[in-house]
Amino acid sequence: MSTGTKKVILHVGTPKTGTSYLQHVLYHNRRQLRRHGITYPADRHDAHFLAALDLMRMPWGGLEAQAIGSWDKLAESVRRAGGAAIISHEILATASRAQIGRALDSLGHGHGTEVHLVLSVRDLVRQIPAEWQENVKHRASLSYGRFLAQIQDPRREGRIPTWFWGVQEVPDILDRWGHDLLPGHVHVVTVPPTGGSRDLLWKRFVEAFGLDGIDLQLDGERVNPSLGSAETTLIRRINRAANESLEPAYYRPLVRELLAHQTLSRRRKTPRLALPPDVHPWATRLQESWTEEIRRRGYDVIGDLEDLRGAPPVTAYADPDHPDESLVSSAAVDALKAVLLDHARLQRDLAQRDAELRETQRALERAYLRPTYRWRERLVRRLESGGTGQLVMKAYRRARGRGAGSA
Amino acid sequence: MSPTAVQEIQREHEARAWGWVAHLRDGGTTPWSAWGSLAGADEQSGRYLPGAQQLELLRRLNLIRLPSPELADRVLGASAPGRGRPDLGLVGVLPDSAFGPPPVDPSRLPADELVRVATALIAEDVVAAGDPLEPRTPRLLRRRYRLLGDPDLTDVVRDALVADGRPPGGRRATVVVTGTDVSSMLVHVWTARSLGAGVRPWPEWLAAQARRGLPDRIDLPTLAAAWVPRVGAGRVHVVLDDARRASRLVGRRRRVAPAGPLSADAVELARRTAPVVGTLVAPERRTALMRHRLRPVLAGWPGPDLDIPRRYRPWLVEQTSALRRRLASGDYAVHGVLPAPAERRGVTAPDEERVLALAMQVLLGPAIGTPMAEQPASETGQREAQ
Repeated sequence: MSTGTKKVILHVGTPKTGTSYLQHVLYHNRRQLRRHGITYPADRHDAHFLAALDLMRMPWGGLEAQAIGSWDKLAESVRRAGGAAIISHEILATASRAQIGRALDSLGHGHGTEVHLVLSVRDLVRQIPAEWQENVKHRASLSYGRFLAQIQDPRREGRIPTWFWGVQEVPDILDRWGHDLLPGHVHVVTVPPTGGSRDLLWKRFVEAFGLDGIDLQLDGERVNPSLGSAETTLIRRINRAANESLEPAYYRPLVRELLAHQTLSRRRKTPRLALPPDVHPWATRLQESWTEEIRRRGYDVIGDLEDLRGAPPVTAYADPDHPDESLVSSAAVDALKAVLLDHARLQRDLAQRDAELRETQRALERAYLRPTYRWRERLVRRLESGGTGQLVMKAYRRARGRGAGSA
Repeated sequence: MSPTAVQEIQREHEARAWGWVAHLRDGGTTPWSAWGSLAGADEQSGRYLPGAQQLELLRRLNLIRLPSPELADRVLGASAPGRGRPDLGLVGVLPDSAFGPPPVDPSRLPADELVRVATALIAEDVVAAGDPLEPRTPRLLRRRYRLLGDPDLTDVVRDALVADGRPPGGRRATVVVTGTDVSSMLVHVWTARSLGAGVRPWPEWLAAQARRGLPDRIDLPTLAAAWVPRVGAGRVHVVLDDARRASRLVGRRRRVAPAGPLSADAVELARRTAPVVGTLVAPERRTALMRHRLRPVLAGWPGPDLDIPRRYRPWLVEQTSALRRRLASGDYAVHGVLPAPAERRGVTAPDEERVLALAMQVLLGPAIGTPMAEQPASETGQREAQ
């Protein structure tokens, strides 16, 4: 990649378009990219997610505390870097115009930096069920029917529709993010239809991000896998039963990671979640209007807008609101087995920690019994009881780099 | 109509909107629906039109009192934090579009939308007020204690002790569990969580407690019983409805002024603001800032107390009886008697319009963190209403 003009490639969505895999590859190939003049500034795999939370001041189950200052740090790394830099996270799609203005300014837009926007897009026939599933994996307990009714309501009120449209309404996202950019600097990457070559999307990303000719390690799982219809129903039922008592900090590792991603997503032979046939015409009409708008605006399309047409309605629709109970119960058995095995692992860890703790306590007690410890303790008490002694202790603590507390 | 004519009309609509922005910046109060003028239309003061929420919030502020130009700029440049409706367009500015959220008449926006924008600014002000003073170095010789139970009774005493170099904890500590009537304790716990780690809206939270049982923090017998094996029954005291005695047991002889009570709407505003503060500072700083910077400001504004709906009365009575019975069977000292659930004579839920009114007063008031003695008689930076 040329290192002449400074360039920032900003990938802002949409969710469920291979973004997790892309970010996984970019993160694990940071050094190789750097050798080719491309910076992917991240000291942890979710660095850009945290930066996006920070930019949008978005609480996220406690993670926001780790995000404080992340955007400025990321932007500074980008400004410092020569050549090109890549930023990628799909929740950036929901940013407001003011937040986008701040983001672009901080990256040097208008001050010699050429900002390119990348939006990867997939047909609504697949995106709508994927979004409901993602909501369920984030503790939502509303039925698929209610979700569909809410997103079809033109008023778009409430948490679910505002988020859905914020991250999925492609023309609006492009309008907000591309407001100050040349159409030629806005790149729309289309996700190939189901059944196509698995490498095709990656080749499109390579083109969009200028990764051609760079030998990247592409191993690793394609993370954020999807669930079947019955499996999603099971997670929704677990949410309804446990939401009130399970703290957010535990939900993510236990339900989202252990149950959904590591266990239930491996059940690949059960019916997949799909768009109901009666919602299909509405979704495809909407999709066609979006496609036409993208074409009209003259953006750089990487792939084929025909990819966004979406598959025809499924013939055997597996309704997650009226599931095959035998499938839900077999999914529940798999989930229970996973929880048992994980619990056993934790019991082993706990026993080992207990043994370590006991050994540490014994060592500590031995240390307390040493005469020198008792002498030091007595000396501190005596010094603290007098004015001169307090000054001595203060000087000693300052020398040791402590403001207060024990000697 | 030709495309050129359509574009011309669109430009005129947009110019009218920019004129309204200029009008609001100048302290105007005309609603968008009554704004027909092109005055100020050439004053495009930004890259994009601010959202309807921001514009309407500024208009409402202008109706109360003229904000400083800096505050007006901040309102127009603010983004509503967290999840929720995006910045909305003004109805009648852009041609009907198949994309984006439907444009709105700003005066019809629910108060909740404006509160959301206001919390972004209040959160910034809370953080700008700076951290409370560091407590003094812990004393080596001090009474060891732990103070648990009702947050309204414990927090102020603990804060005073910590500030005086007497942090809680330590071996052979005297454990004091404080409590008062169950309905007050529930309000106090919700208030404390609103100022801290966050909590669901009052009606939802209360319903969840009624299903699950009392929150751990005010489950007085369980708290006391948990400490008996650790420090011995002789060091555990449950003190009911007697803040003075609780203070003395933990070594505080001088009276500690109770925290100023917060109205239902004030707690709700704190509840909405705390998560935004949490995106700016670490959790422990958030709680300290909320309690020591925002709470005193909110306590200065009158409003109805928070009450518990009457339908929960049987549950409150039942919980009170259960607590009394369990406290009586404990092997620790119990000072006083758990009072019957209080009739608080307030509102059973905050009101969004009143919360918005309070948020605007906070924004228009003296800088958060300004000591009362230093506050000017009339707020600085305000311009004369036009």
